[in-house]
Amino acid sequence: MIEIQELTFTYKGEKSPALQNITLSVPDGAFLGVIGPAGTGKTTLGRAVSGIIPHHFPGDYYGRVTVNGLDTVDTPLTDLSRLVGTVFQDVESQIVSSVVEDELLYGLENFGVPHEEIPSRMAFALQKVGIEALRDRSISSLSGGQRQKVAIASIIALRPRVLVLDEPTGELDPQSSRQIFSLLKTLNEEYGVTVLVIEQKIMLLCEFAKQLAVMDQGRIVRQGETRQVLADTDALEALGVNCPRVAKLSRLLDQPVCVNLEEAEGLVRRLIS
Amino acid sequence: MRELFQYVPGDSLIHRLNPITKLLLTVAICAAAFVTDSLIFLVLLLLIDLLIGFVAGVPKKTLSILKGLLKIAAFLFLLQALLTRRGQPVFWIVTDQGLLTAGKVVLRLMVVCMPLTLVLAVTRISDLANALVQVLHVPYKYAFTLTTTIRFIPQFLEEMGDIMEAQTARGVEFDKARGVKKLGMILPLCAPLLISSVRRADSTAVAAEARGFHLRTAQSGYKRYPFRMIDGIAALLCVLLIVFAAII
Repeated sequence: MIEIQELTFTYKGEKSPALQNITLSVPDGAFLGVIGPAGTGKTTLGRAVSGIIPHHFPGDYYGRVTVNGLDTVDTPLTDLSRLVGTVFQDVESQIVSSVVEDELLYGLENFGVPHEEIPSRMAFALQKVGIEALRDRSISSLSGGQRQKVAIASIIALRPRVLVLDEPTGELDPQSSRQIFSLLKTLNEEYGVTVLVIEQKIMLLCEFAKQLAVMDQGRIVRQGETRQVLADTDALEALGVNCPRVAKLSRLLDQPVCVNLEEAEGLVRRLIS
Repeated sequence: MRELFQYVPGDSLIHRLNPITKLLLTVAICAAAFVTDSLIFLVLLLLIDLLIGFVAGVPKKTLSILKGLLKIAAFLFLLQALLTRRGQPVFWIVTDQGLLTAGKVVLRLMVVCMPLTLVLAVTRISDLANALVQVLHVPYKYAFTLTTTIRFIPQFLEEMGDIMEAQTARGVEFDKARGVKKLGMILPLCAPLLISSVRRADSTAVAAEARGFHLRTAQSGYKRYPFRMIDGIAALLCVLLIVFAAII
């Protein structure tokens, strides 16, 4: 599980902290969505969980982050990354190879996955992300969305216990975005992977995330079960989070919150009859 | 230029060679070009270069590289022919010795420049790096530097293109300028390019570390690079090539 205690972090050279007094507990098997306006520290939070902060970004670090009991400050990044798979926001910089297949192999080889296991791991990741056809393609010939899928597949293949994804659908079309979230759901439900996903597309989070955390100016201002967080649409709107229309509708009707179209339809039908 | 280092998939004889053999081939051709003093042998080497390109299934690329080299070669030829003072004058200040030396210089240049580019086009850089680590025991750090450098070249160009497009969209007339004027317009772009490159290199370092960069050993590679019969034959041909070059 991920345990963050009173974490405050200021990047070197910055005056104001990027994260302020964050306390967050993400139990094993959680599917947490992090949402909030731009520049509120979501990416910094992701980096703190995957250990890239403080290992790679210098700054003032107060508080404590543990992942499965490992303190991210004391544990080398290499050891942490066996446990936590990170998909960066900037896909370009994550890619280390020239060909799709090699990109997937990279982590598998490094972490010493037994060679007889590698083909099935690769096949699994490629198939789940839906890029089997791209296997032998040169990465420089791929579109932004395809590269994003490659980056995700290369992390999925490593089968981390915890997945941290920073806007994994930023360059994807709506259909592919749903596909990625369905994959995250499968990994979460069937394989027990703890998922922490930073995402702007609120509808996706509503549908797939079990828990939500809303960030504003370096703080977590709301956190809890997705439904419970969404119930307060006014507060979310005030923070600049664009609530789904179904949530607003149920709120206006003074009814229990709906998180998807089916629920809203049921609600309206019930009210009419 | 953007496609220069891009891998062209295929199943040709050259594709199937061990990456180390391909490097050996490149080195052998270069060595032969410097050892020999015969104009005809240099022409033969150039033909071998072209043959490699055609056998590898990249004739278009081969010819486009040749075309690019010809431009530089023409300039060098002229310079060399005009500056060499030995031998009998043929016309004006050009001497027969000058023509011969110039011919050898430009042929040597073309012979030496082609094989590496061609071989890189039909070898995955990662295969090359892995083979260097596994077979020649080059430390992985250096192999990674090599692959990253080559991978960054198209990215740089892409980024440069993006920056130029962004500036064109804001009224800078890149498309109309030519020659020195265009160069003058491009130079200021180096600063943003450098900054973004350094940033990218840093992020890539983090990404590599987060996927076990430090754990990698010579045995980590999944693919193996055994030497086969064709590699043996190719190596033999390489040796013969150098021997012939020395004799002729």
